Amino acid sequence: MARLLRMYGKKRGNRRTGSQIWGSAGEAAFSLFFLCVGILFLVRLLNSLVIPEWNANQGFVQDRGTVKMTRVGQQPGGSGVRPEILIRYEVDGQPYEAWTYDIHHQNAVPDYSSDPAAVQEVLRQFVVDQEYAIWRDPADPKVVVLVRGYSWWLWLLLLLPTAFILIGGIGLVYTIFHWGKSVEHREATAQLSRRFSAGVSVGARSGYPTVPQDANLTNSPGTRLKYRLPIDISRGWRLLAIVLACLFWNGIVAVFIISAVSSHRSDHPDWWLTLFVLPFAAVGIGLIYYLVREIRIVSGVGPTHVEISDHPLRPGQSYQVLVSQSGRVTLEQFEVSLVCEEMATYQQGTDTRTDRRVVYRQSLIHFEKVDVIPGASFEQQAGLVVPMECMHSFTSEHNEIQWKIVVHVDLSGWPPFDRSFPVVVCPEHQRVGSFANSAHQYQD
Amino acid sequence: MRIPLISIKIDNRTVAHFPGDSLKGEYQIDAVDPDDLRAVELAVLWYTEGKGDEDLGVHSFERRTTDDDPTANLVELQTFDVQLPNSPLSYEGVLIKIRWCVRVRIFLKSGKTYSADSVFQLGNVPDAVAILKSGSGESDHAVAGTEGAVAREET
Amino acid sequence: MTTERGVGAVESACPSSNPFSTRFVRPGAIPYRFENGETIESLVERLAGCNWTASIVGPHGGGKSTLIQSLVPLLQATGRRMVQYQLRDGQRSLPQRLDVERLGEQPMQVIVDGYEQLGFWSRWKLQRDCRKSGAGLLVTSHQPVGLPVLFRTEVTAESLIAIVREQLGSDAELVRDAELAELLQRHCGNAREVLFDLYDRYEAQRGA
Repeated sequence: MARLLRMYGKKRGNRRTGSQIWGSAGEAAFSLFFLCVGILFLVRLLNSLVIPEWNANQGFVQDRGTVKMTRVGQQPGGSGVRPEILIRYEVDGQPYEAWTYDIHHQNAVPDYSSDPAAVQEVLRQFVVDQEYAIWRDPADPKVVVLVRGYSWWLWLLLLLPTAFILIGGIGLVYTIFHWGKSVEHREATAQLSRRFSAGVSVGARSGYPTVPQDANLTNSPGTRLKYRLPIDISRGWRLLAIVLACLFWNGIVAVFIISAVSSHRSDHPDWWLTLFVLPFAAVGIGLIYYLVREIRIVSGVGPTHVEISDHPLRPGQSYQVLVSQSGRVTLEQFEVSLVCEEMATYQQGTDTRTDRRVVYRQSLIHFEKVDVIPGASFEQQAGLVVPMECMHSFTSEHNEIQWKIVVHVDLSGWPPFDRSFPVVVCPEHQRVGSFANSAHQYQD
Repeated sequence: MRIPLISIKIDNRTVAHFPGDSLKGEYQIDAVDPDDLRAVELAVLWYTEGKGDEDLGVHSFERRTTDDDPTANLVELQTFDVQLPNSPLSYEGVLIKIRWCVRVRIFLKSGKTYSADSVFQLGNVPDAVAILKSGSGESDHAVAGTEGAVAREET
Repeated sequence: MTTERGVGAVESACPSSNPFSTRFVRPGAIPYRFENGETIESLVERLAGCNWTASIVGPHGGGKSTLIQSLVPLLQATGRRMVQYQLRDGQRSLPQRLDVERLGEQPMQVIVDGYEQLGFWSRWKLQRDCRKSGAGLLVTSHQPVGLPVLFRTEVTAESLIAIVREQLGSDAELVRDAELAELLQRHCGNAREVLFDLYDRYEAQRGA
């Protein structure tokens, strides 16, 4: 979330929020702004466009009226035009006259077109002194229309307030949840949720200080092997984030694009607006491309499941691993490996960085040119031998040694991606019972 | 002013210890007037070294002070016998190294403190090296050696 | 409270220790190297002349934090009580409010490493509190921040070579002097990046 109170440009490196209460207030205000704008916009849109259109189509009563005059209506202060037809009709013996065409004629946000020829074509359909079917509001005889229907562009326009509401609402919920929590607390909570989503708990395993717990790795039974492992980072959240970003950005850009295109169509091209909108449109196209790619990966590749015959793992022991991949794509390369990775976090000036190194990789399964048939899944089972005397899983505040099963997928025409399934490797033997964690921090 | 001499001796220090083993040894403080000592601490701990910021975990801790026992002689030879835990094992990685040591820290009444470490090895985990590229069907783990890191001590 | 090493069991500089590990190269582990005859003592004198309020300016990885850590013992020796803040990752206010009430008890030196992270109001409040109570304020930043500039840090190829040679000791063959100069240039004068680079290089050589 942007820090509105920030006075200086951002510097490189990861950012963590600084000020606590004021920061939370700033975030809440920012989210609330988006939420309010979205709600106001939605209410206005519903009130002035959606509901009148709905009423006209569902609630208006049919009658007959006589066309007395037709004209091309001019947009005040603009170059837009619209068809206007003067209709004379009677309701309960009382005569009425009204300039009308469709329901938007009556709105505070009238619908003008930049195409005079199309407007003339509409007017030619109505002959003076001829009778036509009309639909009038039973609650207000003055409200009458000659045509009904639903505007397709209206539903597209609804995307914009929806995006504002989603962004503002999610942001507000997040801020309230984290209100008053310190940066460290947030980071710890984030770490906890990441680790819980990965199935690895932050606290030490009983009897094994610094070896992470595996409570969430073993609470899901497998279909053929003992446990099904959870994936490291859910792709769903990533997809949701991209959807929101795409909706928000393209919703705003669409308004400017429509204005620019309309200006060109009306023989009064606005080149400045066109040039201004081009880079934003390019970013929007990039977001759409990225969104389509993600959707394709999520829907095309399908979920990856990994099951294991036992857990936690121990050095020198053998296990069975079952990997299944569903979807409807051709996998150029499909590889499953047991990987050990070191992660070290350090201060780089005022920034915090994390460096990673893979120190062990054992290929378990390797296939090329695999066709995954829709409705079925590609399954492979393989043996896994944890090397003798290897280093066990380790976690401390700034350093971590993580073991995981990595599924590497190479799709034709798309960048490759990995799906990681953390596992815990315990030391070879448990020779000692549970220690009271005598980890008091020893300060210099 | 004389600098205190802290001597730590671990039995079989050059040999790898294993979880559950007894870590035995002794320590002594010299070149300090016993009346100048306020407290002595003995800790068996692990710490990380490498590219990341250091972490530390204390497995066993003992503190002796003159506040508890004014007649105690804090400089005299003391023995220790600590059962070693299951983890973390000593490790020589690329970004991360995990070391175990016995640390003795003394607190003088003047406010100064001094400390000394003696490193020992827990477990027999081979050294690790970074994988540059993966190989299919083969393990890429390279074993660079089996010796853990040990410190020299002077008595 | 500082801790000194006792004579006896040696510091655990194991033979396989990477001399560029964080514990050996972090600010405070390596003394700041001056050139052109400048010394720590002369800096402290100049700081006193600025009424103990000044800034240390320099680029990323230029040794500002290292210089601060080198200055602290001498500042303590002048009888001033140290209050240090290390700001990280966009912290726009001090983690704890400066206790103005206690500042009058003893001459105090407030040190803020990463001063430009602070927001406008935090800076204004801090300077006001220090002014009112007579505490000194010594800060580090990448650009001048409106305080007298005590010193501009800069890592030259010569000082970097000297630091690395001292760290490497007998492993001097790891990298040539010309390579060090080139590394420093590649990292735009950021010695910290060079040291992290050398960490990786040392590990790669160890594994070869």
